[in-house]
Amino acid sequence: MEAFVNTDAATLSPLGLFMQADWVVKAVMLGLLAASIWTWALIVSFRAKISRARNAIDRFEGEYRRADDVDAFHRTHAESDLAIARVFTAGVAEWRRSTAGKVIDRDGTRERLATAMGAAVAAEIDRMSDRLNVLATVGSVAPFVGLFGTVWGIMRSFSAIAQAQNSSLAVVAPGIAEALFATAIGLFAAIPAVIAYNRFSHGINRIEARLMRFADGFHATLSRQLELG
Amino acid sequence: MDRAEKLGLAAALIGHAVLFGLLSVGFLATPDPQALQPTPIEVSLVEEVGLEAQAPASIEPPAPSIAPETGPPEDAAPPAPEAAPPEPAPEPEPAPPAPAPEPAPAARPAPKARPRPERPKPAERPPEKKAAERPAPKAPPKAAPKRDTPPAKKAPPKAAAAKGSGNDSASTKARPRGSRLGDDFLKGLSDTPSESKAVTPPSAARVDARALAGIRDAIRRQIQPCADKQVNPGPGANAIVTVLNLRLNRDGTLAGNPRQVRQTGVTGENERYAQRVTDLGIAAFRACSPLKLPAEYYSTANGGWSNINYNWQLR
Repeated sequence: MEAFVNTDAATLSPLGLFMQADWVVKAVMLGLLAASIWTWALIVSFRAKISRARNAIDRFEGEYRRADDVDAFHRTHAESDLAIARVFTAGVAEWRRSTAGKVIDRDGTRERLATAMGAAVAAEIDRMSDRLNVLATVGSVAPFVGLFGTVWGIMRSFSAIAQAQNSSLAVVAPGIAEALFATAIGLFAAIPAVIAYNRFSHGINRIEARLMRFADGFHATLSRQLELG
Repeated sequence: MDRAEKLGLAAALIGHAVLFGLLSVGFLATPDPQALQPTPIEVSLVEEVGLEAQAPASIEPPAPSIAPETGPPEDAAPPAPEAAPPEPAPEPEPAPPAPAPEPAPAARPAPKARPRPERPKPAERPPEKKAAERPAPKAPPKAAPKRDTPPAKKAPPKAAAAKGSGNDSASTKARPRGSRLGDDFLKGLSDTPSESKAVTPPSAARVDARALAGIRDAIRRQIQPCADKQVNPGPGANAIVTVLNLRLNRDGTLAGNPRQVRQTGVTGENERYAQRVTDLGIAAFRACSPLKLPAEYYSTANGGWSNINYNWQLR
């Protein structure tokens, strides 16, 4: 395997470009490589998380619509860790607490139900969008970090040119290729991060909207129940 | 870090490792970057060729201080003395065969070997008989040459005269190689390379295409400030190319008004500006007139800038 790994700059071998670099540029490259790996890890996990949440919402809403008894339905889903189930549980718990007393303050109960379920939705979204900030940070900072590595590498190769007293392209090119590699890694990390950030924040917004719609619907049901009861 | 993130991290690590491996084995490598480099071709644009082509300056090296080896005479010479010893017995025999020209060299060194300083050189032609007669009793060991001399009479002796290495004593002592001449061959010559092949100085030069183009460029450059001030008389006027004949003094001033030789690019649209363009050109030359041009090309065997045609065009 070793024999096939080229280490000269002309073949664009990442190992070769890395080994020729200054230690500052090496640090930049390693950091950007870590950022890229972390970005992709988050992309994979977010994708899984969001699609799971969406499917769960679909299933839960279907079951909820078909359910006759809210209490029985609640009993089957009380221990679920799905986001929508938690919102539902928060609403039911608030309803029970508010209607436990003799006198029922209907307006107050309505308000509390809305607040409780809104808070549950916010908490779920909060939990879900944790680490989305990492994608945003990588997307906006990685190009600059890569640019820093490139500027540093080009400065270094220019000073090497000055020492060598030779400005032929063969002397200049490897240093510049190696320096530009830092920007390449920066962009390689940043582009997926930006795309993923936009895509996942859109997905999370949609999930939030669906949770809010479900909470509003459930709130309407409970509020109707209040007037009857 | 929950399960999804662990899964994602593993996937990301595997993906990066695969990409790294692909790049390392030259997946995106430029195919032989050396082969992609275009071979540069030097191009020089010359508007008009010179009146006479001039060869580039000669860069021939000076003549070498040692004459070139013309052949392997040295190898041929030694056999002579060897052939000589057997000769004494059959006296007239060896004369006709091939060695005839070779024994001749013996003629010159032979006198040197002898203790007689009186006539070392002239022994070549007439005294050969004498040399053959006289040394006979005097020099017993080196008797070989004297018997060679009779055949030398028949053979042309002048061909061999230059090579002086026939004799045993002479060849072992100096052992010269090829046609190298004596150490005093260069006496009186300096070590500096001869300047006989130096470039002829430009003052006597003929103007060549490059020089002519350079002169035209120099004129263009120098009248540019004045040309820029000229107002374009109308549309299409800058398509007119006027050939102006300049007669210049040695100091670069105009010897007379530039004269229009011919005009090209005149169409029905711009013909009314033709005269105006010529006048503008003349005015430009008058305004910027002391032109600084290379003095050596003022007047040469095939022309110069004393009388030169210039293509005037408005920009």
